[in-house]
Amino acid sequence: MKMFSTQIIVPVDSNSVLQGALEVKHVLEEMIGAYNLASQVSVVETGALGIYDQGVVLAVFPDDVYYGGVKPVDVQEIVTEHLLKGRVVSRLVIDRNLSNRRLVEKETGKSQQKIVLRNAGLIDPQSIDEYIARDGYGALAKALAMQPGEVIQVLTDSKLQGRGGAGFPTGLKWGMVAKEQSDEKYIVCNADEGEPGTFKDRLILEGDPHSIVEAMTIAGYATGAHLGIVYVRGEYFMSIARMQKAIKDATEYGLLGDDVLGTGFKFDIEVYRGGGAYICGEEFALLESIENQRGEPRNKPPFPPQVGLFGKPTVVNNVETFANVPPILLNGSDWFKSFGTPTSAGTKVFSLSGDVVNRGIVEAPFGVTLRELIYDFGGGVKGGKRIGFIQTGGSAGTVLTDKYLDTPLDFASMKTSNVSIGSGVILVASEDVPLLPFLEEVAHFFWHESCGKCTPCREGTLQIKAIMEALVGRTADPDALSRLGRLLNTLSNTSFCGLGQAVPLAFESALRNFPEVFDRALAESHVPEACQEEA
Amino acid sequence: MGSDKIVQSAGKAGTLSEEDRAFLQDVVERDRAEHRGRVSYMDIMFELEHHYGNSLPGEVLGEVARLVGAPASQLNGFVTFYTMLSTKPRGRHVIRICTSGPCHVTGAPAIVTELKRLLGVELGETTSDGMFSLEASSCLGICGVSPALMIDDDAYGNLTPDDLPRILAAKRAGGAT
Ligand SMILES: Cc1cc2nc3c(=O)[nH]c(=O)nc-3n(C[C@H](O)[C@H](O)[C@H](O)COP(=O)(O)O)c2cc1C
Ligand code: SF4
Ligand code: FES
Ligand code: FES
Repeated sequence: MKMFSTQIIVPVDSNSVLQGALEVKHVLEEMIGAYNLASQVSVVETGALGIYDQGVVLAVFPDDVYYGGVKPVDVQEIVTEHLLKGRVVSRLVIDRNLSNRRLVEKETGKSQQKIVLRNAGLIDPQSIDEYIARDGYGALAKALAMQPGEVIQVLTDSKLQGRGGAGFPTGLKWGMVAKEQSDEKYIVCNADEGEPGTFKDRLILEGDPHSIVEAMTIAGYATGAHLGIVYVRGEYFMSIARMQKAIKDATEYGLLGDDVLGTGFKFDIEVYRGGGAYICGEEFALLESIENQRGEPRNKPPFPPQVGLFGKPTVVNNVETFANVPPILLNGSDWFKSFGTPTSAGTKVFSLSGDVVNRGIVEAPFGVTLRELIYDFGGGVKGGKRIGFIQTGGSAGTVLTDKYLDTPLDFASMKTSNVSIGSGVILVASEDVPLLPFLEEVAHFFWHESCGKCTPCREGTLQIKAIMEALVGRTADPDALSRLGRLLNTLSNTSFCGLGQAVPLAFESALRNFPEVFDRALAESHVPEACQEEA
Repeated sequence: MGSDKIVQSAGKAGTLSEEDRAFLQDVVERDRAEHRGRVSYMDIMFELEHHYGNSLPGEVLGEVARLVGAPASQLNGFVTFYTMLSTKPRGRHVIRICTSGPCHVTGAPAIVTELKRLLGVELGETTSDGMFSLEASSCLGICGVSPALMIDDDAYGNLTPDDLPRILAAKRAGGAT
């Protein structure tokens, strides 16, 4: 590898590209050429640094200077001042602590302990060599030298739980597939990421695709599967392209294919695409979709580890779950358990969105609080406003007041404090955002995304939507709230799959935490005359 | 722009020509190679939508069903399930405006209102010149830069209503970017 004295890192994840990162990078490279700096300065593309509200960001190493809001016209100044004369262009400097690489250090007091985002913002995600240079595929080599059962034991000991929302123990799932007798088994990576407010999987795939290739291959070895499928949502063009390139490069290096690392183990990976249906994130709907069917859930049991893709035993794991696997194998289960809380080992990647100063993804150990995420990383509410409400966990999550700011977040927090973490959504709404129209949108979302297979969800979401519309329009009848309560009950108890069962979370938590908002809407309602006879 | 809401096809498939048939055969065979003997309807449909102006004509689906050896009704059931696929004619460019929570909180409703006004259509409709179809979408996964929308394969974020005329004009002028 060629050595450069200075490295300039440009995040080119899709969010940064939207803000003009590619133009800036292009001008930067031209300038570096024009000033004959090409032998000393390298420009490196990387995945998300996790800073989005600062425009295009450039990070200069080893100086450790972060520039934000960089426009093509600023590039010359950076080149002539900083690179040539060593003078930092202070008007463009931003707080480097905004970068997602910093928070874990701050939270744990242990430096450089990012697990999932260990490479994001540090390597060129399109370069397999850079991944390998940072211990990439080392975990695979280590796993292949172990017995499959030992690999699963390490995962079980690590207490890694699924990051797709349900928190199922990963080692247990792999063990179930391993013990099935079958000529074919499959490893499926769930990259359908559709939960509103979640964008972490996209940034993991864009920023470190080889970590997923490596982890899926390890899963294949541990369970006896020979084909992996990554199901990526159709809109994630960059994730799809990066994943396809990673698979191609890994195959050329002998890390995939008929003879992985010369051990005789065979494993391949293919990419399938989603078509814009939230329900396809549900594992059985996803498998149906790969099988060219409508994405409708199947009866459980049997579960995918017994009867999954094409009727064969199948591991389905979330992107972030897989991204945890290589570091666990390299560093051991005790190391992993040293992060987090007694009920939840490791870190979680949160997607922070809404009215915060700094939106983005941030990795923090379980046990982190909303206050730390929203104020330390997020920089607080935009315009110095107060928090109106916070939605955690996604549309299928909980709606909270700022009284919950100091609740530690982990897999147990739903049970202990009625705070859902789901896929890691933290959506902040300022005091200016009215709650009921927001809930109307949540209801609209579920009505639109209900697959229609079962009646409680298909009809219930329609009625919840109608009640929310009536509350917003102040035309609700006096019985509306008790009807809403009954509907929510019916959905959670009788829906066929997790979608319908989770619909009530948002509404029940909102009713619990903001009863006055509902009461006022009801008090201010007039049933339109035309309806009064029916009512 | 007129506000008459004629939905018109930008697609170019009438009855299938020999050229169409050869093209469809090629698409299916390439996909079969990529998936080791299986096919992915989604891959095929995305490519066909691209080719036939953002929608999937019935004759095309019929021919694909024949090529993959499935009943046309199964293919039809598949296509009508997924929001990114359409059997209804759509405009040259498909605008998908996200209305989900994070976009809602940061201003999506104003973006929707302004888009409807600028285009003279409601959600789910196509402009009379066949240039744009306007669709509401669930979360597009770019909530870090909300409010957001996609036009065809391009995403736009941190939108304000004032940004929209420029974006639409660029699309209109750029044609097939
Ligand atoms: C309606 C619905 C949507 C879901 N969406 C996703 C998703 O987008 N990504 C995901 O990984 N899991 C999603 N899940 C959870 C999956 O069914 C499954 O539990 C998960 O992929 C298992 O992986 P894990 O154990 O690594 O979390 C969804 C579940 C439901 C009910
Ligand atoms: S609960 Fe909703 S999404 Fe799930 S099977 Fe029933 S209708 Fe479909
Ligand atoms: S206005 Fe509601 S039924 Fe008449
Ligand atoms: S909510 Fe609009 S992109 Fe996610």
